[in-house]
Parts: sequence; C-alpha cells; structure tokens
Amino acid sequence: MTEEILTGNELCLMLNEGAKILEKNAALVDALNVFPVPDGDTGKNMNLTFQSGVDELKKNAAQGTDQVAATFSHGLLLGARGNSGVILSQIFRGLSRGLNGLQVANGRQLAEAFQQGVDMAYKAVMKPVEGTILTVAKEGAKGALMEARRGGSPEKVMETLVREAQRALANTPNQLPVLKEVGVVDSGGQGLVFIFEGFLSAIKQGFVPTQVAATQDSPIISEEPVANMKVVHSHVHETDIQHGYCTEFMVHLKDKYSFDENQFKEKISPFGDSLLVVTGDQFIKVHIHAEKPGEVLSFAQQYGMLDRMKIDNMRLQHNEVLRKQEESQENGVVQPKENYVLVAVASGKGVTDIFRSLGVNRVIEGGQTMNPSTEDIVRAIEKVPANHVIILPNNKNIVMAAQQAAQLVSVPVTIIPSKTIPQGISAMLAFNPAESSEENEEAMKEAISYVKSGSITYSVRDTTINQMPIHKGDYIGMAEGDLVSSAPDSLHTSLQLLEHMVDEDTELITVIYGEDVGEGEVETLIQEIGLKFPDCEIETHNGGQPVYHYLFSVE
Amino acid sequence: MSKIRVVTDSTSDIPISLRGELGIKVVPLKVHFGKETYLDGVTITPSTFYEKLVSTEQLPTTSQPAPLDFTQMYESIREEEGEDVEIISIHIAGVLSGTYQTANIAASMVEDKVKVHVVDSKMASYVFGQLVVAVARAAREGKSIEECLDLARRMKERTQVLFVVDTLTYLQKGGRIGKASAFLGSLLNVKPILTLDENGTVSPFEKLRGKKKAINHIIEASKNYAGQGPVVMSVIHSASEEEAVALGEKIRQEFNVQELVVTELGPVIGTYTGPGLVGIVVYKL
Repeated sequence: MTEEILTGNELCLMLNEGAKILEKNAALVDALNVFPVPDGDTGKNMNLTFQSGVDELKKNAAQGTDQVAATFSHGLLLGARGNSGVILSQIFRGLSRGLNGLQVANGRQLAEAFQQGVDMAYKAVMKPVEGTILTVAKEGAKGALMEARRGGSPEKVMETLVREAQRALANTPNQLPVLKEVGVVDSGGQGLVFIFEGFLSAIKQGFVPTQVAATQDSPIISEEPVANMKVVHSHVHETDIQHGYCTEFMVHLKDKYSFDENQFKEKISPFGDSLLVVTGDQFIKVHIHAEKPGEVLSFAQQYGMLDRMKIDNMRLQHNEVLRKQEESQENGVVQPKENYVLVAVASGKGVTDIFRSLGVNRVIEGGQTMNPSTEDIVRAIEKVPANHVIILPNNKNIVMAAQQAAQLVSVPVTIIPSKTIPQGISAMLAFNPAESSEENEEAMKEAISYVKSGSITYSVRDTTINQMPIHKGDYIGMAEGDLVSSAPDSLHTSLQLLEHMVDEDTELITVIYGEDVGEGEVETLIQEIGLKFPDCEIETHNGGQPVYHYLFSVE
Repeated sequence: MSKIRVVTDSTSDIPISLRGELGIKVVPLKVHFGKETYLDGVTITPSTFYEKLVSTEQLPTTSQPAPLDFTQMYESIREEEGEDVEIISIHIAGVLSGTYQTANIAASMVEDKVKVHVVDSKMASYVFGQLVVAVARAAREGKSIEECLDLARRMKERTQVLFVVDTLTYLQKGGRIGKASAFLGSLLNVKPILTLDENGTVSPFEKLRGKKKAINHIIEASKNYAGQGPVVMSVIHSASEEEAVALGEKIRQEFNVQELVVTELGPVIGTYTGPGLVGIVVYKL
C-alpha cells in the first residue's frame, strides 16, 4: 500500500468546498452569535474572511500544498473581518507555516499543520476563552494528531478532526455559561465545523480511497450541534424564518452504486435551505431547513429506508430562545445585592405603566379618594417572595397604612415617604438594584426633594381657601398640597399653577393627563406651556388617572 | 536614540488638522451597510454616516482592520523612517473591539522588521484620541520611548468621560450596552448618563429625565472631577454640533482649561451610540 498523500490541488478543492458550506450556512452562524458581543455577524464575517482566501487562490496559480496554504492564508490576513475572522486567519496562518516547504502532505504532516494553526491562534488571542472556536480547533487538531500517530491517511485524519471538532462544539455550552443560557453552541465554533465538514466532503469526493469504509454509526454530521442550532438573534424575527423546520434524517441507500450525490442535492435543494448532505458508504445523512418536512421525507424515501429522523420547529425554538434571552437580560449583567420587590400605590393605567416601566413589581390600585387598607398592602407584599420590600405610598394619607403593614410582615420593609405621583417617579429613578437597601433609601428620599409636584382637580362645593373664593365645579391648582390657583377652566388654572412652580432653574416640566382629558385640550395646554416657558423641556404622558385632571412635575 | 512614530485607529476621532500637525498615522476600521463597505473617516464622513444611519432600517455592522492593514502601515513607516524607528500603536479598548488584538498580531508579524509597542487605551473615541495626541507631542519633544509609554499608562488614571445618549437602542442592538442594561425599558424620557469603567466597558453613571438636565449634570460632575487644577478637555458629539459648540463655550468660561477640542464621534463608534450623543472628557494635568 502506498502512502496516501494530499496534493496542493486537493487542498485547494478542500478550501473551496469549506468556503461553500460556510457560505450556505453563514446566516445560521450569525443567528448563533451571542459571544463575545451579541451583534449577529459572526457568520457573515467568517464567510467574507474565508471568501477572501478563496479569491486569492483564484488570482494566483499556487502549486504545492505549501503554496496553496500560503496564498490562502495571505488572502485571509488581507480580508479578515471581525474577531472570528481574525482568529480564522491565524489558524490558517499557522497551518500554512506547518505546510511550509511541503509540496504534498501526508496524514501526519497535515495533522501537525493543523496543530500549528491552533498554536498560532491561541498565541494571537490575548485572553483565550474556552468554549469558543479556539476550543473547537484545538480538540479537532488533537484528534487529528492521534489519528496521524496511528498512521492515518489525510482522509482519516480529516475524518477524526471533524468528529472531534463536532464533539467539542457540542460541549461549548458546558464551557461558556452565556451559551447555555440561551441554548446555543458557539457561533464561531459552528462556523469552523462547517468549514471542516466542507474539507471532509471534498476529500471524500476528490480522491476516494478504496479501503476506507465508513460505518454507518460514524457521526458524520454531529447530532448535538445541529440539534442545538437555534436561531437566536433578536434582529431575526420569527417571521423572517422562511423555512421553519430543521429536518435531519438518514437514508439507507437502496442502490448505492447508482446514487449520485450531486443530483440528489440538486433535487432536494428546492425544498429549503441550509442543506447539508454527507455521503457514507451505504447511506447518506441529510440536514435541511424546510417549510414542509413531510414532503422532504417522502422525496428522500425514494432512495431507500429512512432512519433517525428528527424535526424541530425553529420558529418555536426561536421564540423560546428570545424569551430566555430576555429573562437573562433582565436578571443579568447587574447582580442585585438583594432580591428587592418594589410596591407602589397608584391609579390610572398610564401611571401604573410608568411605574412598572421603572421597575415597580406591584402596583396597588389607590390614591386620594381611595386609600388602600393596611391589609391590601400586606397582601401585596406577601404576594411576591422578597428579601427586601420598598414601598412608595405616593400619597400622604397612605404612608401610615404602609407603616402598619410593614410591622405585620416578616420581610424588612423600607417606606419611601412619597406624597405625590411625581415624587414616586423621581424616587424610582434613583433606585439602583445593585445597591444596598440603606443606600437606596437615602438616594430615593433625596430624589423626592428634587421634584416639585402640582395637580389640577375641581371643587365639589363653593368655598373659600386662602382668601380665594372658589365655586363648585371650578378647577383648582395645588402645589405640594397648597392651593395656589383657581379658575373656571383647566387651562388657566394650570398655567397659573405652573407660573407659581416654575423658576429659572427649571429644566423639565412633565404633564400627566387624566382619564377625563381630551387630546385637543392637552395639545392646547402643551402649546401654551411651550410659549410661556420656552427654556424648559416638556414631556407628556397619558396617565389615565381619575380625580386629577393633570399631574405636573417640575424639576 | 530611536525615532518614535505614533499609530492609532480611526475610532480615536482625532481632528484631521491635529493628525497632520503631529504626523499621527491612522488605520481605519470599517463600517458595512448591507453589502457596501466604507472605511471609517476615509470613504465615509460622520455627517454622511449619521444621515444614512437614521434612514436605514437594518443597522450597519462594523469590523476591525485586517491584520495586513496594520502590517502595511507598520512596514511603510519602517521604509520611510529607516531602521531605527520604533512605533507606538495606541488603540480602542480591547473590551469594545478586537482592534487591539489584531494590532498585536500584526506587531508580531513584523517583529523582525520594526519594533511596535501596542497599547490598549481602555478607552474609546477622543477619550483616548487625547492620549494619542499627548503621546505624539511627547515624542516630538524628544521624549524617550519609555517616557512616552509611561505617559500613555498614566493618562488613563487621570481621565474621566461622561456622556449622554439620546437613546439606548443603538447600544443595545449593537451588543455594547455593558452594565448600562439596567437603564433599559423606561416609558419616561430618561437620559442615562454613561461612563467607561476602568476597562472601557460602558457603565451607568446616573439616570436623569430630560437632555438639558442631563447635560447640566455632566458639567457639574466634570467640575467635581476636575477640581481647581488645570485640565485638558474635549467635547465629543454625534450629529449635534451646535450643542457641542455651545457646551465648549461654557467649558471655556467655567473650567481652568488649558486646551479644548470639540470633535465628532466617527462612524464606527457612532454605530453603537446613534446620533445625539454629547460627552465631556476631562484630563487632569
């Protein structure tokens, strides 16, 4: 038996095939991208990087394995895009060094060259992280070296390299927690596996050695990585997935001699995308994303018995992954010192929404005309498990009930004595889940003093307050609980009130309008405020609150 | 004694006049809108970029220079300046971009031709652009390579940046929101004040409502940091020149400022902040 060798031409074919498989799956790799920066361009970057190597090969007539590798590596260094592209360029720079001076390479030389690629890549990365493309390359090369020591041919070496790389890829979620959280394998590693799979496919097509018979158990396409392959990137909408079912199966070929892989690929490709077909000795293994997996299976059945079918709904997976991603974002990054639960008293849908958007967990319906009882507050506290509860009463008549409630529950409670909705909002902005309860209490109490609160309501009877005669049905404007303006219409009452509240330091006026206020009325008021106080920013929200026509905060 | 030349990347946002005056060489990063690729600051200007950014549906992506972009730069300096030249190559924080890493790879690729000292500024934009300018000046004054590198290391400790963005959307979509993710999701017009931590990660400083309030607040916080001593300062903005110039005027009046540069955030970092950013950098002399 003569030693099997890899020629420059064959290496060239391998690189081309690797590029092809990578290109086909670039979008998938993008979708896996969550580390180091979840910007969803790993596949695109790797693909363009690799393509730059292929272009360089086209431009230059390279001969031996050394020249082919050197030319390709030069192209990669020239076109490296993104982190994964740079790492890829280093792997092939090392590989090219390893093949230096070799017109042809045997299994051992090939394996050693891959190992040099790994060394080069590890050296290039400042802080190598395991569970990434680096690990996949390393494990692949390790396997290749072992195979080579057993005297394996280039094909055998590649086969082991692919298998070990796949295994390492499937293991990446165990090494990198962020991958496990969202339920994906590493994107760069997946890209590299696609490249390696292309290499293997070329080596098998290009110079099929007769004595090698792949057993049908050899996992040519890894089970795990493909199964784990979930479209996760938030730029991808569920509706963007054209072919919703990840479909994988094996076919035991009825007639292995007349089977033509290329023809098969051509016929099956209209069913979907991300097609991967690997041909073994008596079987083929197929991976395709299709909209109608049933039709794919019926079609494939013509070629022989089906086996190991696996169909995943990628749209549902995508939603699930997005949900997990959101959860991990909510819980993530800032580790709370305490498990805080924030409770606020408010009424009106818009006001409630504002508090929720600021991080309030429970809103107790209530306010001026409807004070929640101590029991209501106790129930709200006990509903959610917490280590520490912070309450915003947002009304001076509710502070007491909150204090009583605090004594009836077993968790420690901090009461921020907010007397108005604007004070409550201001306090919420100062809340920081990463700080201790003492620090939060101080910051939130201080924040209350930064904001001036005003409100507009109407009088239910004729009266005189602060020497101001007020008629039933008149609007009245209150600043921090003091009556300062009154008029038959809300516009003038509001403007007078604001005149009282706004001074030269005022930067922002917030208007929260109630359930009885029409759109046109708000618009007029905003225009007038703008004219009267041209130096202030104005923000408007539909609070939907009862009783108070308008709530103003001035700060 | 060896000659020193300074190389940086385009995210340093150093105004062109200053680059020319000090002979600072800039390697561009790249911005990709779909299939179109632009070289940061070379084939796309900030103003065209921000116009495109707000009108495009799919956000652009960015990429660091390729290894050979750096080796070519280093080799051409070696050719122009002769064999006794040494290069200081200062780059955007390694936590924000792979540029620093790639510069290191390139430096090792040319190590038998020219000595390149690669520095991770742990900062971004003109926050480290200022550092590059200071090092280039020191080199021009004949300071040794050790003195220059020492300056580069010390400056970071005496520099603070505070900035306000119009929206956190860009930081979030681009995956660079860092520890500021706690600020997401409010219905109110919250203007988060952000800073860069010791490694260059975007971190929350405070959240306030309304841009005017936020800007006034970063002026106050910058004053606290600056104290009474002399400072070098800069104002960084994205598509907000008027605001930035006005802020510059205010700084001239209210700070003991020795030098003030107003500069626009380039496309690559602009991809992650969007238009409407205003920031103040203080470097205590």
